[in-house]
Amino acid sequence: MAGFPPPGATILGDAAAGKKIDEVGKKKVDYFNLPCPIPFEELQREAISIVPNLHMLSLKPELFEGMRFDFTKGLNPKFSLSHSVFMGPMELPSQGAETLKIPTAHYEFGANFIDPKLMLIGRVLTDGRLTARVKCDLTDDLSLKANAQLSNEPNMSHGMVNFDYKGKDYRTQLQLGDGSLFGASYIQSITPHLSMGGEVFWAGQHLKSGVGYAARYENDKMVATGQVASTGMVAMSYVQKVSEKVSLATDFMYNYLSRDVTASVGYDYILRQARLRGKLDSNGCASAFLEERLNMGLNFVLSAEIDHKKSDYKFGFGLTVG
Amino acid sequence: MAGFPPPGATILGDDAAEKKIDEVGKKKVDYFNLPCPIPFEELQREAIMSLKPELFEGMRFDFTKGLNPKFSLSHSVFMGPMELPSQGAETLKIPTAHYEFGANFIDPKLMLIGRVLTDGRLTARVKCDLTDDLSLKANAQLSNEPNMSHGMINFDYKGKDYRTQLQLGDGSLFGASYIQSITPHLSLGGEVFWAGQHLKSGVGYAARYENDKMVKLACAMHVPFASLLWVATGQVASTGMIAMSYVQKVSEKVSLATDFMYNYLSRDVTASVGYDYILRQARLRGKLDSNGCASAFLEERLNMGLNFVLSAEIDHKKSDYKFGFGLTVG
Repeated sequence: MAGFPPPGATILGDAAAGKKIDEVGKKKVDYFNLPCPIPFEELQREAISIVPNLHMLSLKPELFEGMRFDFTKGLNPKFSLSHSVFMGPMELPSQGAETLKIPTAHYEFGANFIDPKLMLIGRVLTDGRLTARVKCDLTDDLSLKANAQLSNEPNMSHGMVNFDYKGKDYRTQLQLGDGSLFGASYIQSITPHLSMGGEVFWAGQHLKSGVGYAARYENDKMVATGQVASTGMVAMSYVQKVSEKVSLATDFMYNYLSRDVTASVGYDYILRQARLRGKLDSNGCASAFLEERLNMGLNFVLSAEIDHKKSDYKFGFGLTVG
Repeated sequence: MAGFPPPGATILGDDAAEKKIDEVGKKKVDYFNLPCPIPFEELQREAIMSLKPELFEGMRFDFTKGLNPKFSLSHSVFMGPMELPSQGAETLKIPTAHYEFGANFIDPKLMLIGRVLTDGRLTARVKCDLTDDLSLKANAQLSNEPNMSHGMINFDYKGKDYRTQLQLGDGSLFGASYIQSITPHLSLGGEVFWAGQHLKSGVGYAARYENDKMVKLACAMHVPFASLLWVATGQVASTGMIAMSYVQKVSEKVSLATDFMYNYLSRDVTASVGYDYILRQARLRGKLDSNGCASAFLEERLNMGLNFVLSAEIDHKKSDYKFGFGLTVG
C-alpha cells in the first residue's frame, strides 16, 4: 500500500479510525487516527475518555445505579486531583434467575498530569485496586501508551504497553501485554473517505491467536465501520449526524461461532446545556443517560437502564464538580 | 372540663392540635383539634412532613390528570430495588416494578380516594362531613393474600374547644380519643383502645403546646401502646412508648424539628433532628437519626405542574444506601 499516492489534504484526509474490542478485559484498545484539523490534545482527551471512539459515544455511556459524586480540583494548569464517591446497589453474581443486589460504596482518588507531550493518570480505589495510564509522544510520529491495573487479588493484575507509529497515510501499532499478550495492527487510507486495516494478536497465556480486518467509511454526515475477527466476531456500526444537535447511531454485533447476536439503536442529542443519549437493544434493554450543565463546572447526571428480559432496573443520579 | 369558660377568640384560640405517632404502619391517625384558621389537612402535614418525607429508592413517576375540577385520575410508576427480608447481616435487594392507578373525587363536603396496585392491593378512603361538627372517615385496604385485608371507620365530633373521635376497625378494634384546649396555647388529651384480636388494650395521654412563633410541642405518652391504625394486624408495636417532638420555625423559609421516641419496656430509643427549607422553587428536607441514618429529600419545581424529586438515605450502621429520583406531573 505504500505505492498509493497519499490522499489529498481534505478534512477527512489522511487516516481513519477503526475499533477493536478487547475480549480479555474491560478496557478497549483503540488504534484510531483522526482527521488532521483536529488538535492533538482533543484527540488525546477523546482517546482517554469514557469511550475513545467519538462516534461510538452515542451507544455506550457509563450507566450506573445509585449515586455518584465526582470532584476534580486543578492544582496547576497541568496537574489535577480527583475524588470520586459511589454508593449504590451492586449486582451479586447469582446462579438463579433472580437478580440480587447488595449496597456497596467506594471512594476513588485520582491524580492527573496532562502535558502536550506527556500524560499521566492514576487512580486508586478503596478496595485496593490501582490503575495507572501513561501516554507519551516520543517523537512527532511515534507515541507510547502504557496502562496497568494492580489489584490485591492474585492473578488479577495486568499491564500493557502500546507503541503507535503514525505515517503519512497509515498507522501501525504494536502491543505488548502481560501473560504473553502480543498484538500488531495496521490501518491505511484507501480513499479520502475509506480506510481499511488489519490486525493480528497472540495471547500466550490462553493459547489463543487471531486475525482481524476492519474497514471504515466516513463523510461529512455519517460514519460506517465494519469489523471481522477470527475469534468469530463480526461488528458493524453506522452513525449519522442528522443535524447539528442530533446524531443517530446503530450497532450490530454477531458472533458466528457462538451464534450470539445483538443489535442496538441509539440517539445522541447534544444541546447547549445538556447532552442526552438513549439506546434500545435487541436484548430488551432500554437505557438513557442525561448530563446537564447546571453551572460552570457543575454537571448533573441521570442514568437509567431497564432490562425487560431480566426485569432488572437500574437508576442513578450524580453530580460532577470541576 | 365543660365548666371552663371557653378560651377567648384568639387566632390560636378554641382548639389545638395533638399528634400521635403510630409505628405500626405508614398511615398516621390524627385525632386532633385545629386552631380555627388552620385547615385540618395542612396541620397534619406540617408536623409529620418535616421529619418523615416519603423516601424511596429507584425511580418514581407520578402523573395526575384532572378531568374535572373535582375529579382526577393518577398514574404512578415505580421501579427500583426492594429489600428482601433477610436473616443475615447483609441487605439483599431485588429489582421490582409496580404501577398504581388512582382516582380522586374531592368536594368540600365529600372526598373519595381510591388506589389499585399491580400486585392486587386496593386502597379506598372516604372522608365525609355529615354535619358542620360531625365528620366520618373510613378507609379500607384489600389484598389478595388471606388475612391481609383491613378496614377502619372513624367518627369525629368537633365541639367548641374540644374534639372527640370514635374508631372502629376490623378484628374487633375499638378506640376512642378526646382532646381539649386548656389555654390558648396548650391542649391536653387522652385515648383508650382495645384490640380484640390481639387481646391488647391501652391508655394514652398527649399534650400539645404552641405559640405565635409556630413553636409546636407535642408530647404523647402511651401506656401499653399498640397501633390504633387500621393496619392492626401488622407487627404489633411494643408497649410502653414515649414520644416527644419539637418544631421551631426559625424564619419564613427554614424550620427545624426534632423527635424523640423511647420505649421503656423494650428500652429502645430513637432521636432525630431535621430541617425543612421551603424555598421558592424547591423544598429540601434533611434528617439525622440516632440510629446512624442520614436522609435528605429534595423537591424542585421545574415548571408549572412539573416537579423533580431526589431522595437519598444513608444508613451507616447497616451500610445501606438508598438513592432515588422521580418526576411528578400534574
